[in-house]
Amino acid sequence: MSYQNYVIAAYCVFAVVMLWDFIAPRLQVRQQLRAARLRATRAGRNTTNEFPLSRE
Amino acid sequence: MHPVVRWFHQLGSPPYFERFAARWAPIAYIAGLLVMAYGLYGALFVVPADYQQGDSFRILYIHVPSAWMSMAAFALMALYAAIALIWRIKLCEILAMACAPVGAAFTLITLATGSIWGKPMWGTWWDWDPRLTTELILLFLYLGVIGLYNAIDDRRNASRAAGLLAIVGVALLPVIHYSVTWWNSLHQGQTISLFGASHMDPSMLPPLWAMVIGTHLWFVGSLLARARADNLRRESGKDWVARLAEPRA
Amino acid sequence: MIWSAAKALMIRDLRLLWRRRGDALQPALFALLVVVLFALALGGEARELAKVAAAVLWLAVLLAGLLALDTLFRGDADDGSLEQWLLAPVPLSWLVLVRTFMHWATTALPLLVATPFLAELLHLPHEQLPVLLASLALGTPLLSLLGAVVAALTVGMRRSGILIALLALPLYVPILVFGAGSVAAAGQGLDPVGALLLLGAGLVLALVLAPLAAAAAIRIALD
Repeated sequence: MSYQNYVIAAYCVFAVVMLWDFIAPRLQVRQQLRAARLRATRAGRNTTNEFPLSRE
Repeated sequence: MHPVVRWFHQLGSPPYFERFAARWAPIAYIAGLLVMAYGLYGALFVVPADYQQGDSFRILYIHVPSAWMSMAAFALMALYAAIALIWRIKLCEILAMACAPVGAAFTLITLATGSIWGKPMWGTWWDWDPRLTTELILLFLYLGVIGLYNAIDDRRNASRAAGLLAIVGVALLPVIHYSVTWWNSLHQGQTISLFGASHMDPSMLPPLWAMVIGTHLWFVGSLLARARADNLRRESGKDWVARLAEPRA
Repeated sequence: MIWSAAKALMIRDLRLLWRRRGDALQPALFALLVVVLFALALGGEARELAKVAAAVLWLAVLLAGLLALDTLFRGDADDGSLEQWLLAPVPLSWLVLVRTFMHWATTALPLLVATPFLAELLHLPHEQLPVLLASLALGTPLLSLLGAVVAALTVGMRRSGILIALLALPLYVPILVFGAGSVAAAGQGLDPVGALLLLGAGLVLALVLAPLAAAAAIRIALD
């Protein structure tokens, strides 16, 4: 009986799940940073506010 | 203040943790990948085929480390959750919730590879024996924690509720395992053991240890990466996040 | 007008589902849990399980669909969209039919896809699988349509969970009998076509009548 297909299948499952495990948090971080960028531009501040308590 | 103690306190600061996780997650990932590559190479090409189980034995080198990882991750998740609930440390809330998807992934690998291994070995894709059944219930516990965390809008309340669920789960897990073992002993004819009659020859062990260490390192990397994402999400209104996100001038 | 309304409703439902896409897995997970519980209660031995596998699978799908029934109209009832449905220029029964179809596609269809996998857990004999899938394919839309009538009757009520089950399950009995029965008949070597044709006929009738009944029920509930 050829076990090769079963071994390949098992290792493929491992590779696919680990790949997902690697990609998912990267996408999340990218999404969060993008949302923060959009929020900042929406609030009209493209650069950092050095003097947050100023009246500008 | 002792430097290690100070470092612990510093980690609790979200911007500091962001820098820490952004730096160390890739390192952990790469280290894990290298060690696993060594382990997988050994598992596939160096180790001789088992005289009883043939090449399908090689699946063990993924199945067993994943199984250990699935349980270790759950215990760690419950530990972080307990610390978070008792001392109200926000970072521990984040780390606890970050454990769940990784642990669930390893549980899924365990179940799938176990099923694929079982088919040529015992002729069936699934068997309701104690270890497999408990592993399946473990998957449900993980999914429950993840589901509960996502169902509540407020992140702190969500992590507290899901953390409590994790603690209850870790307390009940031995009970579940014992109950299924007892149930199993009532129904004769279910004496399938994972390793069967063969035992591990010492020459077969190094790739296994490599896989165990490799998966642990990978787990650390994944934990830090997910914790980083959750940290950014929780702090999303703050100035330091906006500053971090702005396009490089 | 009719088709653009249908399209708009379908796109809206898909978009809302995408935002909570984790929830879409829940009926399938519940069915899996039901399978686990039955396997544990019955003793887990392959031969024993194989005898009852088709019946257990039918029950798992039926119960999972029942639990999902609450979400059929609740979201729209809570935010007032249901009242807008009453005022729409398209027939209320048409909107109900479209909504029920989307609900079936997003809750029952994943269950159908999961069924072969669940069947393997219960050691269902492979030759029974096609009949089982056929009976589920005909039966689950019927369950959704009858369930829509019950959900519409209870749409205004708080805490209607058990009540929905009590009202719907008696109506589900003939569907369960013909559905699980067709697989049992096939298992015994008899022809399952008769039972499947009856399910099909019931489905055609329900497609026409159930939306009308549900629409009337919504009008009563919202007045």
